[in-house]
Amino acid sequence: MPVPIQPIPMWEQSLTELGVIIFGMIVVCGGALTYFRRVRVERPPVGTFNGRDVVILLVIIGVLPFVYGWLPIPLVTCLLALAFGSALYIGYRPLLGRAGAWLGIGLLLGFNIWSSNHIMGTLPGWQVWFTEQGILVVLVAIAVCNLYLQGGMKLRHVAWLSLGLAGYDVFFAGYYPLTGRLIANYITHPLTPLLGMRFGYVDFAIGLGDLFVYSLFFVASYKAYGVRAAAVAAGVLALAGGFATAFIPFLFNFTNANLDVLVPAQSLFGPAAFVAYLWMKRHYGRERTMAEYLASQDRVAAAPQLEQAPTPEPASI
Amino acid sequence: MFETGVRQFRLALGMAQGRRLDARNVARLIDDVLDTLAEFGEPGGDVAELIDGPMADPQARAELATASLRRTARRLAAQSPFYARRFTAADAAPDKLEITGLRTIPVTVKAELTDRPGDFRCADVPACLATRTTGTTGRPAEVWLSRYELDLWPALGALASVLRDELRPGDVLQVNLSSRATAALHLASTGCRLAGAGFRPLGIVPPDEALDSLAEGGTTLLQTCSSYLAELVTAARRRGMSAGDFRLRRLVVGGEVLSPSVAQAGIRTFGVAHIDDPYSMTEIAPVTGRACRQGHQHYDLGLGYTELIDLHTGQPAAPGSLGTLVVTPYFPYRDCMPVFRYDTRDVARCLPDAPLRCELAAIPATSQILGKADHLLLLPGGEVITPRQLIEAIEALPAEPWPARYRATVCGGGIRLTLPASAIAGYGEAETVRHFAAAGLDVDLDIVGDDQAASLRRTRSDLHETTFASQHALVGA
Repeated sequence: MPVPIQPIPMWEQSLTELGVIIFGMIVVCGGALTYFRRVRVERPPVGTFNGRDVVILLVIIGVLPFVYGWLPIPLVTCLLALAFGSALYIGYRPLLGRAGAWLGIGLLLGFNIWSSNHIMGTLPGWQVWFTEQGILVVLVAIAVCNLYLQGGMKLRHVAWLSLGLAGYDVFFAGYYPLTGRLIANYITHPLTPLLGMRFGYVDFAIGLGDLFVYSLFFVASYKAYGVRAAAVAAGVLALAGGFATAFIPFLFNFTNANLDVLVPAQSLFGPAAFVAYLWMKRHYGRERTMAEYLASQDRVAAAPQLEQAPTPEPASI
Repeated sequence: MFETGVRQFRLALGMAQGRRLDARNVARLIDDVLDTLAEFGEPGGDVAELIDGPMADPQARAELATASLRRTARRLAAQSPFYARRFTAADAAPDKLEITGLRTIPVTVKAELTDRPGDFRCADVPACLATRTTGTTGRPAEVWLSRYELDLWPALGALASVLRDELRPGDVLQVNLSSRATAALHLASTGCRLAGAGFRPLGIVPPDEALDSLAEGGTTLLQTCSSYLAELVTAARRRGMSAGDFRLRRLVVGGEVLSPSVAQAGIRTFGVAHIDDPYSMTEIAPVTGRACRQGHQHYDLGLGYTELIDLHTGQPAAPGSLGTLVVTPYFPYRDCMPVFRYDTRDVARCLPDAPLRCELAAIPATSQILGKADHLLLLPGGEVITPRQLIEAIEALPAEPWPARYRATVCGGGIRLTLPASAIAGYGEAETVRHFAAAGLDVDLDIVGDDQAASLRRTRSDLHETTFASQHALVGA
């Protein structure tokens, strides 16, 4: 006999969703910043991120959902495996070496594909799957964030990308609900780009793309202007990316046909991030280049030695 | 970043397929490099491979050379009247050319280029700019360049220069070469424009004017020839100028033998870390050579095929022996008036048959250029004296007679060396003979007046250009 669904109150859902989002933000942004400060991604001899790359990214992001929706699911899984594998390899080879990186990728992807087909159906099964899925998504978000930022992406680019994604989210969540359909069709399949958890009968999750943009904004602010700017960015993330996203359903109670709540998170975060960028630019001035950031780190590292340097003797005449 | 990847792919594909390259694509890549340097301060990893290609594997080198030689020969057989005849006469099939079989095609000598320049012009390309050799070693040769070459060469050169940090935005390059060296000046000016650097072509003007420009004009790079560098050093010392008066960070000389004495004096006077002494020649452009820190001369692998041919047998020079450089610039880098197996008559020594240990070890090399083959002295015992040996010994004399003016002939089994009196001033003939003996040169001195100095040996600095401020007399006024 089927068990009737007992929906939990919307405010409780919102709080749980907030917890998931904040957890994801802390883990991904913190991880990305730690990686950014400690690990150097190999970059090609020539090339740095520019404004046209933002446009190219937005076009790819705009087209990809249609491709995913059109392709058979096994092929989508293959494409996702390729994308996840490449990102993980580029991101973690400097840490694990070639063999270690491939071994880790094989285990992560292999377990994900296996678990997607064998352990679903029970609550613990879902929770194990979400946990494993979350680890994969966090690692990919950290890697790609650093690949872009260490490739020369500036806060300016991140702000424009966020603004573009805001429009994207409004369109594809509101007017042409492709995102919701994709999630509904693809969830439970391997490599679903979500970080989340199942509590009771409800899934609470945040998308890989959202986490990626949050980490970009946070670490790019740090790279551009330092710790204080990163604190400003963290505030924007918590308010526009966290609270607003989690509580919008509570305030407006908009739902889709699957009874799942889909919040276009970037439509809220994008404008806020852009305004925050404009404020930082006005307040702090020109962004640091990667070379200037690295030089500042070298100065910080050298500072204790300078303090310990003996006072020079007066020069003899 | 995405666009840069596409541009690099287009360039690599064009090179691999041997199609004409898009110079605008290369120019945009230079912008990408400048953006990369502005963001990161330096290029990313594997930059050497990007500039020089993955050429550490001899097998890969041989395959590239074979394919490039065949492609070049195919085009020449169809478009160049001279080489169509030459290949037919040699019964050489361009599609079946092998590196080992190249010797069946006779080398091209300068006399053929100067006698029948029109026969070397490819029929499918309109000529755009003529450039002439300086003629210090004989009748000048005239080489025509196409618009494609004029666009491509400086773009490729500037790309390599900015990647190697030889040229930066904000640099000012002063060029003291003959103003008739149109190709060299065009390359330098366009390369500077593409890299966002300033360009100041002065010509072979009186050294004091060049020094004023160096000291006051914010010049950071200087390109000249060895003999003019010697004149600049002499003039700077006379005026009491030293490294603190200049802002130079790079000094490049070429076209003549640079002796250690002049090089060291140039380094001290102008305050640079070292003097770059690359190898280039109008007839074989755009193929060039680069000197490494161990004094080898390494030749472009991607742009042309360089052989070192024994002076007497025409076979590849054996390790340790002297040979003449024979160079074939590849299509699509040489377009309008190409040469195939051009005998430069520039002599170098074949390096010992052992792995190189220098920073350019992956690129084949010879010794430094030792002089022109026609200026070698063959002593009765079989010993060969090179112009470099003589120039280095003369320019090391205490009187510092720079640039070296001399005439050397073989006379009575020894070397008869004619020098101007100022070269041994305050030293005496006996001491001078001992000085040469210490350098391994058994000479019989012939001292002449200083008024004959310029007639003993021509140098590129003799191509003086007057200015209204400096000319001594107005003829016909």
